[in-house]
Amino acid sequence: METIIIKATERSPEVNFDFDANTFAIKGESYPEDVTEFYGDLLLKLELHLSNLNGETVNFTFELIYFNSSSAKVLMSLFDMLEEIAEEGNTVNVVWLYESDDDNMEELGEEFGEDLEAANFKMKTTEG
Amino acid sequence: MLATDMYKFRNYLRETGIIFCYSGYMTEDVLLGLGKAIKQKMVMDDEDKETAKAVFSIFVEQVQNVIRYSAEKETKDDVAELRYGVLTVGRQDNKVFVTCGNVIRNEDRERLKKNLTNIQKMNKDELKKLWKDTLRGKIPDGSKGAGVGFIDIARRTCQGFEFDFSEVDEEISFFTLKAYI
Repeated sequence: METIIIKATERSPEVNFDFDANTFAIKGESYPEDVTEFYGDLLLKLELHLSNLNGETVNFTFELIYFNSSSAKVLMSLFDMLEEIAEEGNTVNVVWLYESDDDNMEELGEEFGEDLEAANFKMKTTEG
Repeated sequence: MLATDMYKFRNYLRETGIIFCYSGYMTEDVLLGLGKAIKQKMVMDDEDKETAKAVFSIFVEQVQNVIRYSAEKETKDDVAELRYGVLTVGRQDNKVFVTCGNVIRNEDRERLKKNLTNIQKMNKDELKKLWKDTLRGKIPDGSKGAGVGFIDIARRTCQGFEFDFSEVDEEISFFTLKAYI
């Protein structure tokens, strides 16, 4: 599938889905006007692609500044999707990047990450 | 007279600690614009990042609740509907507050009251569990009850929240939620 690159706006994140490399990233603010319109198609394509993987390595990076509760639903389904393909035998590396002084984003990362068992999960600060 | 009335109104807002006040139809554009001004004001006031982000986050959930659920709405042909609400952001006893009010249907009042009372009593871990279950769709959301937006507000308030209903007539009530950060 062709790489999807979406530029960030004030209220929607930068998206970089490189299907061939199995490298995916979502970065920035996420409170789009219409969550379904923004994420719906992306999630469908991702799910279709991921469900066909067998013994591959998938890297997914989240680097969010702020997300609203509707976006949180999307994040939860992404995490669940990644855990599922890890359970099926793929190597899944999830990285949650946050600014070191953003305790809330750190906590949210921990909350999403704690449900991952088969997938690898790492928290990192954006400062490195 | 005109200026005197408006000045009185402004002073009333100021006396009650209100920094921002918006009453009218709420749209996603209004949310974006007001949100920017609120962020800017938080920076000017040297609020710490944590507080500023919590205020913004609660503001977004409050306004989106109005945009989605206010029972006071106007529709015309195929133009997107407009929903009415009142929003204030202010400072009181060293706490920032975000208050939002809108009309709801009386038939939704009991369920909303029950859900919010339930959330109000929950500790951090219970809220986290409810939040996750709701995100996963295990608990119906999008209903006129307390959706994930309210759970998010409860998780974000540092000083809790209060809410109230004022019956307008046999059909509708005015609902208000005030969250303290």
